[in-house]
Amino acid sequence: MDENMAKVIFQPSGRRGLVPKGISVIEASRLLGADIEALCGEKRVCGKCKVRIEEGFFEKYGIDSKRSHVSPWQQKEEEKFINAADREAGYRLGCVTGIEGDLLVFVPEESRAGKQIVSKAARDILIEHNPAVKLYTIAVDKPSFEDPTGDFERIGKKLAEHYDLKDLKIDLQALRRIPSALREGDWQVTVSVWMDQEIIRVRPGKFEASYGLAVDIGTTTVAAYFCDLSTMEVIETVSMMNPQCKYGEDVMSRITYHMMNPDGLEKMSNDIIAGLNQLIDQAIQSTHPPKKKVKKKKDDKSPQEWVEVPQEGKTYLRLSGDDIEDITIGCNTAMHHILLQLDPQNVALAPFPPVIHHSLDIKARDLGLNINPSSNVFILPNEAGFVGADNVGVLIAEEPYKKDEVQLIIDIGTNGELVLGNKDKLISSSCATGPAFEGAQLAFGMRAAPGAIERIQIDPETHEVDYKVIGRDAWRKYSEPKEMKAKGICGSGILDVLAELYKAGVITKSGAFNKKGQKSDRFRKNPDTKFAEFVLAWAEETSIDKDIVITQKDVRQIQLAKGALYAGCKLMIRRMQMDKLDKVKIAGAFGTHVDREKALIMGLFPDCDIEKIVSVGNAAGDGCRAALLNREKREEANWVSRNVEYIELTIEPDFQREFMEAMQLPHMTDEFPHLEGLVPEEILHQK
Amino acid sequence: MEDARKEEILKKLAEAVVEFEEDVAKEWAQIALDEGMNAFEAIMNGLAAGMETVGDLYDQQEYFVPELLMSADALYAGLDILKPHIKQADVKKMGQVVIGTVQGDVHDIGKNIIKLMFDVGGFEVHDLGRDVPLEKFVEEQLKTDAEIVAMSAMMTTTMVGMKKVIEMIKAKNPNVAIMLGGAPVTQDVAELWGADGYAESAGNAVQEAIKMISQLRKLQEQD
Repeated sequence: MDENMAKVIFQPSGRRGLVPKGISVIEASRLLGADIEALCGEKRVCGKCKVRIEEGFFEKYGIDSKRSHVSPWQQKEEEKFINAADREAGYRLGCVTGIEGDLLVFVPEESRAGKQIVSKAARDILIEHNPAVKLYTIAVDKPSFEDPTGDFERIGKKLAEHYDLKDLKIDLQALRRIPSALREGDWQVTVSVWMDQEIIRVRPGKFEASYGLAVDIGTTTVAAYFCDLSTMEVIETVSMMNPQCKYGEDVMSRITYHMMNPDGLEKMSNDIIAGLNQLIDQAIQSTHPPKKKVKKKKDDKSPQEWVEVPQEGKTYLRLSGDDIEDITIGCNTAMHHILLQLDPQNVALAPFPPVIHHSLDIKARDLGLNINPSSNVFILPNEAGFVGADNVGVLIAEEPYKKDEVQLIIDIGTNGELVLGNKDKLISSSCATGPAFEGAQLAFGMRAAPGAIERIQIDPETHEVDYKVIGRDAWRKYSEPKEMKAKGICGSGILDVLAELYKAGVITKSGAFNKKGQKSDRFRKNPDTKFAEFVLAWAEETSIDKDIVITQKDVRQIQLAKGALYAGCKLMIRRMQMDKLDKVKIAGAFGTHVDREKALIMGLFPDCDIEKIVSVGNAAGDGCRAALLNREKREEANWVSRNVEYIELTIEPDFQREFMEAMQLPHMTDEFPHLEGLVPEEILHQK
Repeated sequence: MEDARKEEILKKLAEAVVEFEEDVAKEWAQIALDEGMNAFEAIMNGLAAGMETVGDLYDQQEYFVPELLMSADALYAGLDILKPHIKQADVKKMGQVVIGTVQGDVHDIGKNIIKLMFDVGGFEVHDLGRDVPLEKFVEEQLKTDAEIVAMSAMMTTTMVGMKKVIEMIKAKNPNVAIMLGGAPVTQDVAELWGADGYAESAGNAVQEAIKMISQLRKLQEQD
């Protein structure tokens, strides 16, 4: 064996292989496909990548794993996250631990990058039917000695005659299919025409359906709606984690990765393209019956065979990648630039100019997407450096520019995006909410995956906690402790927890734990850190065998995030010289999960009538879908991207004061008349 | 002035800062002057001592950014009244600081807190504001001959600009002390780039600055 290589096995995933000595455990996990959380992008600050280095000879794997096979303990970084007992047991941080010899590495459950549950389901919004790709079935005259004109011209002539489509161009790949298609179809063909300009597909015979994909690339999650372009039906919603997450949780760390690594941009771009191809494959597979393995005899060495097991009464479309003839993509400006390998550096430097605002039409094959190669990918336009095409998606889905009522639209993600206005004027802004709402940076924060606490209620009398985890319908109260298998707390739970802690008097208006009013043993000082914390789930209710707590520091992180959003909303309202809001719309990956009452209690935005708050879910994705199904939405997107006035909030003269005041619950000085009756008086009016 | 009364005034000034009561800070600053108390002592052992407590509370996570900034407001309120009455002889000239948020970065809450600390500490502060072109730090240092250059960045993308400034300044004047701060900056980065000081966060920076103030107060007491 090459002495520069080491054998590494990850447990429990069982991923194994040879890796070059000297690389870190995290790098090895990536090479071998064992997923370890690295929320901070290996900046050695999140402590999520804890692993245990096993000691001894493991016969089963034929491996002699030793703790001396890794680089020495890094006191400064590791002691923050690994206590003495765990250190003794062999725990290390994957990002600082270098591999120097053969290893068996155990990845504890909390360090495993779980499969995310993304709830980005499509909503019913009214979309006019006018897709960019339309099908035309035509009968073409056979060539004769009298008229030996070329095949393409014969098709063009009929399209001009019957559908008034003139001067059509054709993509070379589609052209190559013409002669056989005409003859196979006995001179009847179905032609797919893009934007009345270009022929992108020619098939023999008559077809009535074509398909498209509307993709929303978020910093954390990617979701795609697989649509029938003729009926506008959403056939399937597919989603995944953004594979770039391994380079860092937020936009900034991705851009930094590009700045620090010469091939960083290309790598990240390739990863997202590969991710999109995975989604495309998932979408295609959903139109085929599920398959199962054919049972083989024990000594049968022939390759594994699969057999389809169709569900009874269900018809399957059985599509292939070629059948996807259109894609629209919306994403924030940084994701946009990285996808297209445009230098994203300046997007992150004041005054944050993007490389391009306008939308783009790019051949699918140029991007390397495995759909019909002649088809065009529509990339939605950008508004500004921090307000990207995803926000344009939100706008064309919600159409505030067509309404009289003044709407405030809050798109909560790793970056918060705000739009305010009506048909007369629209302004937009962004605020750095940070990844706190998505679970990063919190002691027990996690993504929306099974075991994540997504709903929380705290009894004001006893401070007892009831909660619900993803993957289990029954709340804690109706379950045995061991049935809960809680693992951490995700976005919607994080929104709940601040409101509940405040309403029950566990924390004061300032966000500090209430020293006098504690009613349970859930409040305590952490024996190791000596800092205050509150237990949400006891160890016996978890799958990680330790109490899930919310720490004072966690509360502070959430306060920072919500303060930024509130201050942003308030400054925008002031800029528009308004005194009331007609409607507040909350969008985002967990937009549909937001409890509007709790959002108001925690002061996510200024006071308003609860009835006027609506959740609009993944509006950015809906906007992409609208652009897929209605070509006029593409024009509209370009118009709106240049007609929304972007405001940089942080340079407003009193941003600092507004931000600071908005960190308190629900706010330091602003009144919240609509919370009367919802929050006990002595709490709402505490000093 | 009786010692007991002096203690009382100092205590009230400190409390006003801790409780972020601007009016109380003003009131007791005026009382200090009216009763003939040394203005510099009132600042250092009253207002600044209060800020020291605030720093401790922040460290214990009892206080957060809003409380820090409100305390700073109260401190400034008292400072405005007392500062004009400082006798030059009392002040040990602490030196000069050039401070700013680096180019491309418009976040300046942290920077403003540090600036306050330098103010209180008796430094002459040259605040360049935010989104400061990198060369400007070098120019200002040369112009003022400041002993300290303090830079802040809140985004990883702008942080890299600090490295260039350190190189430029150290090339011209190796004796300048350089302090870095801001969310993405780490001790490693600071060391790697040859900075002399590092503050992990606003609170940590407050601690660093307060340590400086404490040192200063001790020096004053020894006189």
